Amino acid sequence: MDWLAEFPSLGKRDLRDLKKGIDGSFREWSRSNGDAIEAFFDPLYFFLVWLEKLLIATPWPIILALVAGLAYLGSRSWKLALGSVVSFMLIGYFGMWKDMMATISLISVSTLICIAVGIPIGILMSRYDRVQGAITPVLDLMQTIPIFVYLLPVVMLLGIGRVPGLIAVCVYALPPIIRLTNLGIRLVDKEILEAADAFGSSYRQKLFSVQIPLALPNIFAGVNQTIMMALAMVVIASMIGVKGLGMPVLQAVQNQYLTLGLMNGLAIVALAIIFDRVSQRYGQRLQAHRYGKEHE
Amino acid sequence: MYKFLMSTVVAGTMALATNVYAACGSISMADMNWPSATLMANVDKIILEEGYGCEIEMVAGATTTTFASMNEKGQPDVAAELWINAVREPLFAAMDEGRLHSAREMPITDLGEGWWVPDYVLAKNPDLKTVLDILERPDLFPAKEDPSKGEFIGCPAGWGCQLSNINLFRAFKMEDKGWILIDPGSQAGLDASMAKAVQRGDNWFGYYWAPTAPIGKFNMKLVPFGVPFAGAENWDGCIAKAEQDCADPKPSAWTKSEVHTIVTTNFKESAGADAMGYFAKRIFPGPIMNKMLVYMEDNQANGPDAAVEFLIEYEDVWTPWVSADIAKKVKASL
Repeated sequence: MDWLAEFPSLGKRDLRDLKKGIDGSFREWSRSNGDAIEAFFDPLYFFLVWLEKLLIATPWPIILALVAGLAYLGSRSWKLALGSVVSFMLIGYFGMWKDMMATISLISVSTLICIAVGIPIGILMSRYDRVQGAITPVLDLMQTIPIFVYLLPVVMLLGIGRVPGLIAVCVYALPPIIRLTNLGIRLVDKEILEAADAFGSSYRQKLFSVQIPLALPNIFAGVNQTIMMALAMVVIASMIGVKGLGMPVLQAVQNQYLTLGLMNGLAIVALAIIFDRVSQRYGQRLQAHRYGKEHE
Repeated sequence: MYKFLMSTVVAGTMALATNVYAACGSISMADMNWPSATLMANVDKIILEEGYGCEIEMVAGATTTTFASMNEKGQPDVAAELWINAVREPLFAAMDEGRLHSAREMPITDLGEGWWVPDYVLAKNPDLKTVLDILERPDLFPAKEDPSKGEFIGCPAGWGCQLSNINLFRAFKMEDKGWILIDPGSQAGLDASMAKAVQRGDNWFGYYWAPTAPIGKFNMKLVPFGVPFAGAENWDGCIAKAEQDCADPKPSAWTKSEVHTIVTTNFKESAGADAMGYFAKRIFPGPIMNKMLVYMEDNQANGPDAAVEFLIEYEDVWTPWVSADIAKKVKASL
């Protein structure tokens, strides 16, 4: 009855050869295509470097003014704008200004990329059930696969630093915006769509003038989630050499520097809360008309 | 067959077994939790069992825990690869009291930490002999972020070596010479950056340590610093400390890592001069150790598998460690 106790498996030697074969062909492939792929991502890389240097070089009062302005424009709340400025000042006062700028540049670029990639995919998914059926499992995979499993091949291909970090962040942060765009459009009232059809609107008119505007609150919830997840990845991105608030956290964890870890961790939390509240308030304002208020 | 008979005898009557093994006795040996140490321990096990008739029991361990047990209880009897920096003071105290003995200093050559480049960098640029030479040529290692600067890959954030690298970077005035220090973030990042560079044939200059598989796999070469070790005071009092506690770091070679094969008095007495003589001669050449580590990684071999592989493949390395007679016995058992 031995065969019942032991699960039938590929022999140790075959398994080893299989693994070596796949590793070997990936290595071959990365050796011959690595430079081209790296060149493809170069514009992104230089944009990231440029943005980070710009943010660091910009005088801090201007950054604070921008933060206050953006927070107010997004939320129309003086309290929130003031709170953002105070937290930025505190983070800077405790010597984390440069790291914070590096983190903000990574987070904002990756959020922009996620939005640019995610919304069209979400729209496609909402239009064709078959696309939805194909992409949903991919999104599940992206959200659950252990990060280092894909991080190492990416690093082998592109080296350590910002671009692999950005890819890691996007793989993790992209699914919510795709899912919520798809969901939002699908949740638009059928009767409204019938009305639009009755007026003889084309697909394009229906999409841009009816579906997307009505789905905006959901899409914004997706953007908000994407930002949150991108921030959650800051520490992981640091493990492949991305500068920012994650690096001191890593250092603190390895050496039991409690205060250093806590300060940088709280800075990440502060950024997350600011981004979250501002984008949520903005989303709520988009929704305000549903409760009978004037649309702004 | 010999081994089979022996184990039958052991299983049969312990009393008889003790007689058979009287030549050496029953020994416990630390099987440390990193690849080079487990390989060495398993090579020792085969040679001592087959060649010297010892009866060996392996005990899993790690540096501090194994040392504490050897120091307090005299068990295990042998630690093949003990990095003594972590346990220096109690170890020397125990050696002075005669409870522990160093059977072999530096059982692996070319071991330790330092700054490495792939072998082709040195082959293509024969004028690069030391770190000082390399530091004059940042153009050979262009940084992606700013190609006018050279890129030096340091040690991952939070490791002890991160501080030493940062301070040496300052001590050698590398920033003024046009270098930037890259923090790879993790060992995975460090390994991958080296792997990527070597696979593309790009130049790479950074921190690593040996014996390790990547050093063997990518034919990395340790570059001599070109300056002497500038004293323990400079190293322990400055280079190894945080940047703010090290105002004036002096250029220095990397501090020497000391590794010993440590045995207990029990081993020294029961195993006798022969076995001690074996340890005295047993030195693994660094490059071969690195190759064995690559073999272990590639084939996911454990210690016993790798030990057999080593004894078969590198006969000319280990046969001089023992007499012809014993070498024959060991070979017959493989």
